[in-house]
Amino acid sequence: MEQQERIMDGDLQTLGLQSILKMLALSGKTGKLFVHSGPETLSISLHKGQIVALHEEGGSRIDLPGMLCLLGRLTPPNAQMLRDLAQGDIQATLQMMVERGWMSMEEMQRRLEFAVTQSISHALRWVNGRFAFHRQMIPMGGKMRPLDVDSTLLEALRQADEWEEVVAEGISNITRNTVARWLPEVNRDVRNLGLSQECIEVLCLSNGEIPLQAISLVLMTPEARVARIMMRLLELRLVEVVDMALEAELQRDLSNIIIKSQHTLVRHRQTSNPEQLLQGLIITFADCINGLLAHHGHYARSMRGRGQVPESEVIRYLERRFMPLLQQLSGQQYPILETVTMVNGLLDCNDILTLNKVVKGGQLEEFYWEAVQGLSVFLRASFDMMLRDEVGNSHTGRQLNLAWKVFLSEVENEVQRYQLYRAQRNVQARGRETIQGATGPVGAPGSAGAPNWNGANGAWGGPGGEASRPNGAIYWSPETQSR
Amino acid sequence: MMEPTVLVVDDSPTVRKIVQMTLQKEHIRVITASDGLSALTSVADEMPALILLDIQLPRMDGYHICQIIRKNLQFRQIPIIMLSGKDGIFDKMRGRLAGSTEYLTKPFDSNELIQTVKKHLVNWQERVPVQHEGMRPRLRYRG
Repeated sequence: MEQQERIMDGDLQTLGLQSILKMLALSGKTGKLFVHSGPETLSISLHKGQIVALHEEGGSRIDLPGMLCLLGRLTPPNAQMLRDLAQGDIQATLQMMVERGWMSMEEMQRRLEFAVTQSISHALRWVNGRFAFHRQMIPMGGKMRPLDVDSTLLEALRQADEWEEVVAEGISNITRNTVARWLPEVNRDVRNLGLSQECIEVLCLSNGEIPLQAISLVLMTPEARVARIMMRLLELRLVEVVDMALEAELQRDLSNIIIKSQHTLVRHRQTSNPEQLLQGLIITFADCINGLLAHHGHYARSMRGRGQVPESEVIRYLERRFMPLLQQLSGQQYPILETVTMVNGLLDCNDILTLNKVVKGGQLEEFYWEAVQGLSVFLRASFDMMLRDEVGNSHTGRQLNLAWKVFLSEVENEVQRYQLYRAQRNVQARGRETIQGATGPVGAPGSAGAPNWNGANGAWGGPGGEASRPNGAIYWSPETQSR
Repeated sequence: MMEPTVLVVDDSPTVRKIVQMTLQKEHIRVITASDGLSALTSVADEMPALILLDIQLPRMDGYHICQIIRKNLQFRQIPIIMLSGKDGIFDKMRGRLAGSTEYLTKPFDSNELIQTVKKHLVNWQERVPVQHEGMRPRLRYRG
């Protein structure tokens, strides 16, 4: 059946797309022409030799409502609604915009024609690949005006030539899939740079998510022209080219670190005393910081594109970057961090974790508590520094920041659990002080007479604890509760 | 093109967020639930193509949820990947007996997660029946 429908097929090297299209137009054919090259496929629907629809597969996904929203043509809720309804179909998006009066019919036609020309222009540059023409019924009722093959080809060839010129000028690092984003350190007013409206629009859309091809489509500016503008913005150091593969790898690596740290946190959650909870938090923080340091040694901006960097250089870099912060924290607020050292680019918190061999009871708890607070500050500050350096204010950066905040809120819950216990213990100690008066000194924190951690843990710690405790009961001492 | 929907059931917001972020990057729609009961509601409402199910959950554990889903004719085809911090043979066996398709041990690697999910999403459109208005399937929790 399929053999009967396919009336022509072959190699693009033997017969180019231009010739195939002209031949089909001259003979007034109706059917679908499929052109494949690598992962990309183009299907062109013809009706009596005229182009009535075009579909491209294997390229980048194009979020037209999102881009129109960035350009101020749509409000965010309207863009989201169109995204949900159209499911990535550009023609459906445009049609819905026309129906709602957000775009004129004429503009929709121009946009559809531009998209067709753009795709054909791209396919005209394919050297290797195959084509097949299927004689089949073309569903009519498409919104696009039938396009004359000759004029479409003429414009597509002109645009393809423009790309060749761009390549000849030496702009070889920019392709239609290139994604650019604003450099994080740009804080000057770009209006003073004398940029044209076109440049400003490309700059607006260079948010680290939108490929060049999509920018071209939404601005209806040929891809080659957008490539030139992007190059200018790169020269002005306003944008940078995003390595999507590297960023995906980086995101996965950071996700793994967060997941591992969350797992460590959960493992140490079921503890029998406050010292163990604090120790668990110190281990979680230390593991997380070391994971992040190892990650940054690999993905830091200054380490990229240099091949295999000697380990000693990576260690020096990490020490130079993070030791000052650690020293500052230990000098100003958390002297316990003086015992933390950096060995081979990683934090060594062993001195803190083995403190239980030197001190006991309340004093140990106080040391641990100070370490928890200090490491928590160090962890947060390091993560912010790393993320800013590695991905800046990009989509990936924002996503990771969100996941990080969620993880920190889980950590915060554990810290608060201890803080509540501590507050309760202090209130009790003060109460005893008042009652006992001159009878003798009050026991050290954590000594006999302090609130029962196990009881508290049972009530607050387990997942079901939240629901089982009476409202506000955690703030009362056991005596008050029993009364 | 329609994207497959994956339901992530975990009481940890961090795990939910990371899994969501990782799978969305692979063009997979992710919905989440933090406990067993809301997980069952989401299964009935959204008919996911796959479920990632944590074992230790508040109110109802993962094994129990898995058994309920497997007993329902409408949903029994949905692959269920168990997520657990325990990697003992006993836990894996228990998961298998409850009807899980695969078992992922926490802390899992993002690449491993993507591969496992993609493996079980092959032909997902054939498995998930088209849901019509007024035909909303129900999942009953007894006991």
